[in-house]
Amino acid sequence: MRRATGKRAKQARVNTAVLSVLLLLLLASTLFPLYWMVATSLRGEASVMKTAVDLWPRSPSLRNYVDVLKSGPFARYFFNSIVVSAAVVLGNLLFASMVGYAIARRQFRGKRLVIVGIVSMLMVPRQIMMIPLYLLISKLHMMNTYFALTLPFLVDAFNVFLISQYVLSLPVELEEAARVDGASDMNIFFKIVLPLSRPALAVVAINTFLVNWNSFLYPLILTNTERMRTLPVGLALYSQGEHSVDWGHLTAGSTLCAVPIILVFLLFQRHIIEGITAGAVK
Amino acid sequence: MPDDRAGETTECAVNRVRRNPIFLLPVCAAFSFVFFGLLVSGCGREKGVRLTFWQFWPSEVIEPIIEEFEKANPGVDVEMQQLTWQNGFEKIVASVSSGTQPDLCELGSTWVPRFAADGVLGDVTGEVGALKDSLLFWESCSLNGRVYGIPWVAGTRALFYNKELFEKAGLNPDSPPETWEELIECARKIHSPGNGVYGFGMNAGERYILFKKFMPFAWGNGGKILNQDLSRSEFASGENLEALVFYCSLKKYSLVEKQDVLDMAFKQGKIGLEISGGWNLKTIPADAPDLKFGVAVVPKPKACCGTHASFAGSEILVTFVKSGHQKEALKLARFLVEKQNVISLCRSAKSVQPIFRGAQNDPYYDANPLEKMFVVQLSTAVAPPPHPKWPEIEEIIESTVEEVTYGTRKPEEALLEADNKINSIVSSTGD
Amino acid sequence: MHKTRSTLIFLSPWLVSFAVFWAFPLIFSLVLSFLHFNPLRPDTTHVVWLSNFVKALQDPLFWKSLKNTLLFVAGTVPVTTLVAFFLAVAINQRIPFRTLYRSGFFIPSIVSVVVISIIFKQLYSPFGLVNKLAELLGSEPRSWLSEPRTALLCIMAMDVWASFGYYTILFLAGLQAIPLEVYEAARIDGSGFWGTLRFVTIPMVRPITLFIVVINTIRSFQVFIEIFVMTRGGPLNSTLTSVFYLYDRAFYRFEMGYASALAYLLFVVILCFSLVQMKYLKMGRAAGE
Repeated sequence: MRRATGKRAKQARVNTAVLSVLLLLLLASTLFPLYWMVATSLRGEASVMKTAVDLWPRSPSLRNYVDVLKSGPFARYFFNSIVVSAAVVLGNLLFASMVGYAIARRQFRGKRLVIVGIVSMLMVPRQIMMIPLYLLISKLHMMNTYFALTLPFLVDAFNVFLISQYVLSLPVELEEAARVDGASDMNIFFKIVLPLSRPALAVVAINTFLVNWNSFLYPLILTNTERMRTLPVGLALYSQGEHSVDWGHLTAGSTLCAVPIILVFLLFQRHIIEGITAGAVK
Repeated sequence: MPDDRAGETTECAVNRVRRNPIFLLPVCAAFSFVFFGLLVSGCGREKGVRLTFWQFWPSEVIEPIIEEFEKANPGVDVEMQQLTWQNGFEKIVASVSSGTQPDLCELGSTWVPRFAADGVLGDVTGEVGALKDSLLFWESCSLNGRVYGIPWVAGTRALFYNKELFEKAGLNPDSPPETWEELIECARKIHSPGNGVYGFGMNAGERYILFKKFMPFAWGNGGKILNQDLSRSEFASGENLEALVFYCSLKKYSLVEKQDVLDMAFKQGKIGLEISGGWNLKTIPADAPDLKFGVAVVPKPKACCGTHASFAGSEILVTFVKSGHQKEALKLARFLVEKQNVISLCRSAKSVQPIFRGAQNDPYYDANPLEKMFVVQLSTAVAPPPHPKWPEIEEIIESTVEEVTYGTRKPEEALLEADNKINSIVSSTGD
Repeated sequence: MHKTRSTLIFLSPWLVSFAVFWAFPLIFSLVLSFLHFNPLRPDTTHVVWLSNFVKALQDPLFWKSLKNTLLFVAGTVPVTTLVAFFLAVAINQRIPFRTLYRSGFFIPSIVSVVVISIIFKQLYSPFGLVNKLAELLGSEPRSWLSEPRTALLCIMAMDVWASFGYYTILFLAGLQAIPLEVYEAARIDGSGFWGTLRFVTIPMVRPITLFIVVINTIRSFQVFIEIFVMTRGGPLNSTLTSVFYLYDRAFYRFEMGYASALAYLLFVVILCFSLVQMKYLKMGRAAGE
């Protein structure tokens, strides 16, 4: 393509250049705190106290990571987060799609009510339910268990909504043909609908993981020993305390919390953004 | 289509699974989930007596002592759980209300009156006769003449000072301030914010902490919070007013921040003086081995009068009324408060000191003068009044000090208002 | 009808989840707000009808927390929305590395708020980078998080930093939905950059702007994690937000009846705000319908 010449084009190029520079600067300063976190976590000097502010790790080492994982509780926190996130993602993949399918394909009495129910689940803030949920879990003697951390979150309204919208866009003919052939409902669901909904399922899986990994309020109130804490909660409580906290350890733990999420994002950017914008542009 | 599905039998369902194995997947997932959950959450297995012991010390500090106990008492298995100060209280409360409380539990002395008043602690008045004379701080675990726990160790706060900064400011590094005037003088001389150095490390508002930094001055001046029988507030007294005014006068030579920031700043050599706890005796050598520092008792108002008072927070071992193994639990408690075990704990933890009489003469402390200073401080330390509603009183004191520190209220006004609020708390009955 | 039964099977996960973990807690929460309930002493439970609500309305800390929360919302939502909008417009131009910008700016918003709070707690500390920067710019160092005047502002700034990337993506989607012909038409009419912006772009992204403002407001009303990690409501209750206050009452003071009343009051406030916003910004359809 021939490069445009002339005053206007030149102005446009200058504008673009200026804009690019500004954006790059803004991007650098936006990502700087995260860089600082990683840099601090890699500082290997024995006392991170001496010069708290260093832009570059002078003696880089993985010492802090070894510390928090081996002698610290972070290995357990990490494990808990993985277990809980995996369970909630799998649960949602199965259950939210079941419900989404029913809403998309079935007519039944009270369907309107169900939809209103689902929408209201999205609108009401979590804090209203935190106390009764806490009391409920406590009464059921499920406090501080994996059940408490997963059961209430296995069917997320947003995921139901996503799946139902997607299934609605699938051609009904395939399912009807299968039914004529004598396939059972479960068959149709698992063998036809689910495979076809893979894009939506991917979005559900990734978004559920993102939301769940960072989940804080409920894991905070539903756990009370180190053994059962998830990473964000463990990290937050680790950073508190009357006694001094090692910033090398703290940033190492923070990086452990942030890296999986950033990785998932970088790998599945498209899906994530699709999920976000799908909810908005309706 | 004929409606023959209406009577679905198990056989049909099994056939279905056979035909479509993918149906099995969610079922398997559910089962393994349940199984795994049960496994990991733990189902207790009984072998002999299993004592649950909840306490706040890290494993490396407490495990050796527990192991000794288990060796001496075969058949008793101690399941230790470590709590954090951040939410230990909630956890204990939750366990009591759900009936899963431990057999033996470490409580902060400021919590004991409340639990005792709620009637959930085991009454051990008859069991502790032998220990009465050898330990201190029984008032913190008693209510209405009955004893509800055994004092274990206690922590206090002392004055840390940076010897190098003293030298640089022309002060004698071996003679820390002993009176209020000397304290503010030292702070003034060291204070040089242009060079990033502050005279005094003053605590900003932080729950459970601020009153431990202010009250020493009040108590040292003879001030009190409640009267003898805990029925009336004596907070708005002249002594407390002087203490509050003095405390605030330190502000212009201070860095006002939260405890962890102050400790870190002290380790970085940026603060000349701060009132802090024994944990620093562990963390300073680890994080700032080159720091030359000293420990002194909290300064008293004047050379002639007042005391080197400080805050005393004891740890009490309690049992619960609903606990199943009270006898064994008390056995463990008695073992824990034995002299050598207490010293072993204090030696590892460093943030607490023993409270048996004559502790400061123990050979261990002769060899460790900095830690000895804490034991000495403990002998003139004051515990908060053992009122069941202490946490609310504490909050009032803390917000009072905070308001005056930040200048939003005058000291006299603030004290009077606090006085009213405290009175309304101690006079109201019930929850 | 087998169809009904199988429909029921398909719906069952949601029905169970909704009933047990949503409807029940919601109703129970309302019931709790009419009671005096302390889990440590369940025997002292008794009905107090509306006195929890009355107590809330007379509680200076309730009003302080509400004021702080409103300040927080008023301070962050407009700023975040503006930043996100202009950034989206900038990224939407014909410049290289657009995906880099879009993804890069988005990263802070997916990182856990706990992590962000921990990072900024250190950056804001007296010996942290913010003070170093302040010194470079010639002003004196401060205890940012320990001074009543600056603590909430610092948290608000942090919140803007952490969330604008997410809304930028939403704006980008909205911008990209504007058909090119509209821009062409504007260009032919001789409209410059700013003119186009004012008369074409902004009106056309109105729906998405509304969506962003509404969800950002709802989210901002619930600010909690930052307070929990960084300031715990201090100094001098200047960062005491509604949710933190309610958490404090429920889990530190164990006044669960009172806390439930606070939760409901907060919910009513959020609902009113959302309704007003939707009406004012003239949204036709409710979300999700």
